Amino acid sequence: MRDLPNVTLIQVPCSGFVRPAWLEFALRNGADGAFVCGCPLGDCFNRLGNNLIADRVVQMRRRLERQKIQPDRVATIFFGLHDRAEFTTAVREFSDRVAALPAPPPPAVRRPAAGPASPAAAQGAPAAAAQGAPAAAAGSPAPQAVVEGSPDEGRPDAPAGEGEA
Amino acid sequence: MYKRLLDRLLRWTLSLDVWINRVYPADFNPLYYTGGLSNLFLTVLVLSGIFLFLYYVPSFTDAYTSVQYITGAPPFGLNGVPYGQIIRGIHRYAADGFIIVILLHFFRNWFTERFRFSRDEPWISGMMLLVFSGFIGVNGYMLVWDQRAQLLVAMTGNTLGAIPLVGGALRSALFGGAGTTNLLLPRMLFLHVGPATALYVLLWWHYVRVRHPKVWPPAVWTLFSLGAVLLLSAVIPAVSQPLASTGAPPDRLAVDWFFLLPYVALKYITPAWLVVLAVVIVVYGLYIPYQLPETHAEMGIRESGIAQVIDANCTGCELCYYDCPYNAIVMVPSPHPGVTRAAQARKLLAIVLESRCVECGICIGACPFEALELPALLEKDVQGKVLEACRT
Repeated sequence: MRDLPNVTLIQVPCSGFVRPAWLEFALRNGADGAFVCGCPLGDCFNRLGNNLIADRVVQMRRRLERQKIQPDRVATIFFGLHDRAEFTTAVREFSDRVAALPAPPPPAVRRPAAGPASPAAAQGAPAAAAQGAPAAAAGSPAPQAVVEGSPDEGRPDAPAGEGEA
Repeated sequence: MYKRLLDRLLRWTLSLDVWINRVYPADFNPLYYTGGLSNLFLTVLVLSGIFLFLYYVPSFTDAYTSVQYITGAPPFGLNGVPYGQIIRGIHRYAADGFIIVILLHFFRNWFTERFRFSRDEPWISGMMLLVFSGFIGVNGYMLVWDQRAQLLVAMTGNTLGAIPLVGGALRSALFGGAGTTNLLLPRMLFLHVGPATALYVLLWWHYVRVRHPKVWPPAVWTLFSLGAVLLLSAVIPAVSQPLASTGAPPDRLAVDWFFLLPYVALKYITPAWLVVLAVVIVVYGLYIPYQLPETHAEMGIRESGIAQVIDANCTGCELCYYDCPYNAIVMVPSPHPGVTRAAQARKLLAIVLESRCVECGICIGACPFEALELPALLEKDVQGKVLEACRT
């Protein structure tokens, strides 16, 4: 992922391991988008993991809609480690799509202290992560990774910034 | 060395997948359904085999004639069994298809390392299924009792005889005495049908640790396989060789390349070496899942420890039980209420069977109550990584 410096990968044993709550956690803590990457659909190394996470993310998108967070900020991408170029393209597409979205709504007023580190992330400039570890392409049969993508548009995630409708 | 080779093979396998996925949508990639396809062919074999069994007579004098009668070959012509030729062709070509797809299944699961952790049991039972299938296939060629069958019996006898000490006894046990006795064909018929039943016992073992096994291929591939078998049996009718002679067996073999490969090898190596080779291949096949005792560092994230149930949080909702792909989670009556409010009224408690867990963490993703954790990758570890990623 050296060609996508604003994307950070987090390796997990299987895409089915990812709790949708963690994607939401990432969004709340300053990431502009989050996606889960798994083996090609139908060929999960652990048999069912990618189908399960695909369903869970679909359900989660509905949940996000109710919370006034654009559901396009989460996604699933299914590629094996064998086509790196297409994987990069898909991630870049996702990243561009998230960048094109209007700014996220301000963090909910009802819970002022969202998380331990959220002030830092919120104040800090665009939550962009310089990325090492192209681990996705290296180790396991398929690069299972949960990724927090955050395209740096130079737009600070101002906590009380322009709330979008 | 072996590890590097396996890595290379994995990449080739997966790039083959990519190539096929360009042709077909990923849902219909036949390589994702090699297991289901073998089951389909096995079913076809059993059904057509029952049909052939009704007409087959296992004796030296009548076996060949009964097969000719089934297919309506020259002496019988139109008086033969209606569609017998087609059914026999189906039995022949479905057997070829069967052996092709189980070999594909074997190599694919080998190269993609799907034998890790507790998946060794499907692997072992799969090896047994492979050996049984090959044995049944060769038997089937002997049943026809044409010249090829006679040659096969002779070659098998020679090969078994080459085993020191027990060889002769094995040969008489298999063929019912020295040489070709009257017991030979009934015994072969039993060894053709009996192990075919045993295949289903082994299949149960093959599936027992697997939740939602893909037993059937997609409808498109079912129809395609059946159509291909039917077409082949019509275009290239399965026929017998000339009747076995009473004298010496012929010296040439009409080869079915999918089943009779070991017999072709006999042209180049001595029977003793063939026996050694077969034993080495089978023993090595059984050893494959245990070959790579990798260190924790090499396994990295994939060895995260067996999933642990957090008793206090478990609400007995059964979600992990339904999602675990390896049937490693069972629900037991809860011995005591949980601690959190949601877990107060639970009736059931999830238990992870350690011997079946492959440490994939799918149950963690399934649990909405934070009642399951992988010891080496706790929820707070993941959240820590997420925060770190967001901060930089």
